[in-house]
Amino acid sequence: MSVVELEQVAKVYGDVVAVDGVGLSVDRGEVVALLGPNGAGKSTLFELLLGLVRPTAGRARVLGVSPGGEARAQVGAMLQHAGLPDQVTVAELVRLVGRSYPATLGLDAVLERVGLAHRHRHTVSTLSGGERQRLLLALAIVGDPQLLLLDEPTAAMDLEARRRFWEHTLASVDDGTTLVFATHDLAEADAVADRVVLLHHGQVLADATPTALKRLVPGCVVTLVTDAPPEVIARWPGVERVDPAPDGGSSPPAHARLAVSATDAESVVVPLVRSGHDLSGLGVAEADLETAFVQLTRSATAGATHPTLEGT
Amino acid sequence: MSGTATAPRTGRRRQRSTRDEVVRRDPVGLLGAQILVELRSHARSLDFVIGAIALPMLLYAMFGLPTASPSNVLPDGSHVGTMMMVSLCSYGVVSLAIFTFGEDIARDRGRGWARTMRATPLPMWSYLAAKVVLGLVGAVLIVTSTAGLAVVAGNVRLDPGEWLRLGGTLLVGVLAFSTLGFAIAYATRPRAATAIANLLFLPLAFLSGFFVPLSELPAALRDIAVWMPTHHFGQLAWRQVAPAEGVEAWAGITPASAGTHLAWVVGATLVFGAIAVLAARREGVTRRG
Repeated sequence: MSVVELEQVAKVYGDVVAVDGVGLSVDRGEVVALLGPNGAGKSTLFELLLGLVRPTAGRARVLGVSPGGEARAQVGAMLQHAGLPDQVTVAELVRLVGRSYPATLGLDAVLERVGLAHRHRHTVSTLSGGERQRLLLALAIVGDPQLLLLDEPTAAMDLEARRRFWEHTLASVDDGTTLVFATHDLAEADAVADRVVLLHHGQVLADATPTALKRLVPGCVVTLVTDAPPEVIARWPGVERVDPAPDGGSSPPAHARLAVSATDAESVVVPLVRSGHDLSGLGVAEADLETAFVQLTRSATAGATHPTLEGT
Repeated sequence: MSGTATAPRTGRRRQRSTRDEVVRRDPVGLLGAQILVELRSHARSLDFVIGAIALPMLLYAMFGLPTASPSNVLPDGSHVGTMMMVSLCSYGVVSLAIFTFGEDIARDRGRGWARTMRATPLPMWSYLAAKVVLGLVGAVLIVTSTAGLAVVAGNVRLDPGEWLRLGGTLLVGVLAFSTLGFAIAYATRPRAATAIANLLFLPLAFLSGFFVPLSELPAALRDIAVWMPTHHFGQLAWRQVAPAEGVEAWAGITPASAGTHLAWVVGATLVFGAIAVLAARREGVTRRG
């Protein structure tokens, strides 16, 4: 039985189509990342799965029943812009929310999982941003849910806090929970998810494993240091886009460290050498999830079609 | 894109573990837990303890005790210190109702706690019911602390029946005006709720004669006071400790029948309640995630 099943689900607010005919099926124990630009419909999908809003069209099922109602007792969630009351202690909050579920993990077990056992007597006002996020995770898992929905859970965290967050979250997933999460961090999706669902303007643009999604986009990313103007490189055949390389370091004067997405390395290196420009620090990597994401959403905006790899 | 630290996926997943602790869903227990959380968290807040609970007593100490000599009586013999105590208790409970329900709930909306609750099976009824209980407990504390000071240092003497009727009237006031608080909480933007609550409450309290007896204010203000539901609530409270002549001397307004004052309070409760329900529904309909 699928834990989540959406059939041609649409949600319209006035003249805004937030979700447009989404079909999605998530099996027990799967970890699914929802990717998409702001306004792609990720948060609306979570609200549909929680039963907070009803679909305008189509059918949504969670654990075999309509979202909300009895299904709520088996679903844990962290929504975007969620907050906590300041003067309540960590233990009080976890106990309170735990009481609303028919079955709960023990307080100690939950706090141990999210790394807040030592903070159980502290009020929320004394917690750091990362600790607050982990407390929200504790509230999401205290009911021992079968389905965990996390909407951009690590958005405000630094790298260390993210690492710890996923460590704790995946401990819950390893316990058999199905996890659906939204993120803008493609490396995070690549590292954590079994499947990536790419949303764009409320529609599913791609639904595949991270590996299959990367294969959808042929080519590679060439990093190099050169004095050739990026706008010139961008015009060469086979070059998709030119960006500043993320970990640039120092470059000689009038040189820049660039990340060039291209069909193959030759289409960058050969014309660069022939044109007589400097070339150093050369590195070639396969197209990553970010490249796939950018190209797929650009193509969708331009009206091109890409194959959707359902259940790959 | 590289550089994001994520934990590596672990290997095979285990079967779901046996649940460590099973708690049956128990509405009474849930409500009890929610009430405890409300009471404890507010007890930790100095703003609430001083600004809402202790302030009426402090105001009575500053402005009531100097007038509380046994010989300071109204023409009908009613004790001024007692009337002042009732005024400040009325101020306290109306203030509590408006701010506990209005400002508190708006703050919970503004900081995202309301949204977090929506992501859990916590029912809204238990959250609102816990706020009501908080309001009632707060009102009991306001009345007992202010009345305690009035008895110990203000020469206030009432028989048990009068104390019970006064206490009951003041507790009903919390419930009645809580609807105004709910209306403010849901009809305004969270950030504006405090300002709007103050904007409404201060004129209401002043024009109702809770700070200064209306008999000492210009007649024009007394003409406005009769349109204030809080003034009618005050009339009901004063009537529990003084005869109609005493209330007239204190308020400068001839009291109407108890039924008329009650109708005003009930009517206001219904109107504010309807606004609150409509505003809460509108928020549910228009809210976008």
